[in-house]
Amino acid sequence: MNRKPITRRDFLKAAAAAPLAGAARPVLRGAFPAGPAGSGAGAAPAGKVRVVLVRDPSPIGAGGAPPAEVVQRLLDDGVRALVGEPDVAAAWRALIKPEDTVGIKTNVWRYIPTTAEVEQGLKRRVLEAGVAADRIAIDDRGVLRNPVFQNATALINARPMRSHHWAGVGSLIKNYIMFTPQPSAWHDDTCADLAKIWFLPQVKDKTRLNVLVMFTPLFHGIGPHHYAKEYTWEYKGLILSRDPVAADATGLRIIQAKRREFFGDDRPLQMNPHHIALADTRHHLGVSDPARIELVKIGWSEGILI
Amino acid sequence: MSRPQQPPDAGRLASYIPQTAGPWLSEADQVFDAGSIFDYIDGAGEVYRSYRMKLLVARRFHKDGKPDLVVDAFDMGTSADAFGVFTHDLDGADAGLGQGSTYKAGLLSFWKDRYFVSVYAEEETPETKALVLDLGRALAAAIPGEGRKPGILELVPPADLEARKIRYFHSFAILNFHRFVADADVLRFDLAEEAVLAPYAGRSGRSDLLIVAYGRGSQAELAAGSFREAFLQGSKDRAVRLENGRWTACLALDRHVAVVFDAASAAEAEARLEAVAGLMTGPRGGAVRP
Repeated sequence: MNRKPITRRDFLKAAAAAPLAGAARPVLRGAFPAGPAGSGAGAAPAGKVRVVLVRDPSPIGAGGAPPAEVVQRLLDDGVRALVGEPDVAAAWRALIKPEDTVGIKTNVWRYIPTTAEVEQGLKRRVLEAGVAADRIAIDDRGVLRNPVFQNATALINARPMRSHHWAGVGSLIKNYIMFTPQPSAWHDDTCADLAKIWFLPQVKDKTRLNVLVMFTPLFHGIGPHHYAKEYTWEYKGLILSRDPVAADATGLRIIQAKRREFFGDDRPLQMNPHHIALADTRHHLGVSDPARIELVKIGWSEGILI
Repeated sequence: MSRPQQPPDAGRLASYIPQTAGPWLSEADQVFDAGSIFDYIDGAGEVYRSYRMKLLVARRFHKDGKPDLVVDAFDMGTSADAFGVFTHDLDGADAGLGQGSTYKAGLLSFWKDRYFVSVYAEEETPETKALVLDLGRALAAAIPGEGRKPGILELVPPADLEARKIRYFHSFAILNFHRFVADADVLRFDLAEEAVLAPYAGRSGRSDLLIVAYGRGSQAELAAGSFREAFLQGSKDRAVRLENGRWTACLALDRHVAVVFDAASAAEAEARLEAVAGLMTGPRGGAVRP
């Protein structure tokens, strides 16, 4: 063992020394931090990364998403706030260029998929940014064999957050596991080092946008399939960021808040979702510390939890 | 009795599963082994692999306009591991099936002989709940034998034990799942053969007993030393009072390591360790190494 392990006793010591640790931190509540395109106005404050949480109370349909036009608006509002550009087309053009080849990495998990509404909403804006249709693909398990993904210059990463029986949570970071020929090879130490995938040549520096789908998140799982509808709720939101770690860390706070609300205690997730914190502290992929995240909240605030 | 000598056989396992569930009709079976299970249940497959699963037969039941029902029948190779994987998720009410069962939120789980079975309704309704339980009863009746629980359970002292909440496993990750110990394998599960985590609830509050079995006594001593160094900060005392006011004690017992977590007093922790030592008679007997 090369480093000193962190044991349960360390947590007990911390709790004994700082009983107020974990108390709520102030969170920025912004509208549209807008500025002229390319001006830099609207960028996150120095030293912080921007995460946008956008929600709408419209009803969830049978496919697990709000109506397509609502999803489109959520995506557009989210991207506008993320890049600080009030014009929808200009905001998307800040992310995607006409000469790009774009892979939209989705997630097809049977019970809570990314949803067609999100996939098509993203594709529509990529097309409108000037990318030819034959240079856009939506895929999950076939990305390694998909010629568009093989030649991609830009990736958009979109998936739902859910509790996960081995990784703690299914995250944006984890969504790239299908870019590896043997995904199970990344399961060691409950998926601690998933962030290393993001430095593989097939994905490195290509991700322009991360969309964490929070329409009906799963906050607890049971059984081999780790799913019961009883442990989902209609949060009706999307989290957008250029930084997958910051988006995941924000989604995780919502999942944990829901667990506190539902179970009435601080019950830890069934597996430690440490791959998110380690993506920051060990692999330097992004930012997981809420104090270094500028959280911009847009839209419906009821039951927002953070 | 368990029949570990029989090789896994998908046809035999499938024969235990009913063809229909009321008006629900079955779809074609899917068969997976430890290498292909991720094609079916994602990363959760690691749980079944950690229990050395041999085979999974999955059968889905469908009726238009109704929630699907899914049977996942696992051949775990031994009754010990069928029992073990059953203990991984004990949340729910006893359904009175097989050799141990739980039901919650549309999910029925039970074990019998070397088999672990999950029957699941994608949405729980009174109708699907009844069908899930019917499927489970039919399956349990079709499995002809019964199996033994792991022998290591005989080392767990019975006084104040919450017997229905015992967990049996082989992996440090699974231990952390049930009771977080550390973010690194301070108990050297890479050398371990099996382990049991037993919860106790007495007048003095809740505590846990962990017993880990290793291949050799020297490995147990190595593991106990590693645990003391990391968790008890190298203390030479058998029992140490932690920052929450509760006591943790660790002892190497022949090829086993026993750890008591969260005892109310040093005396309670030591007494439980002595009780484990006392149960180490007969074929499991061995010297105590304080």
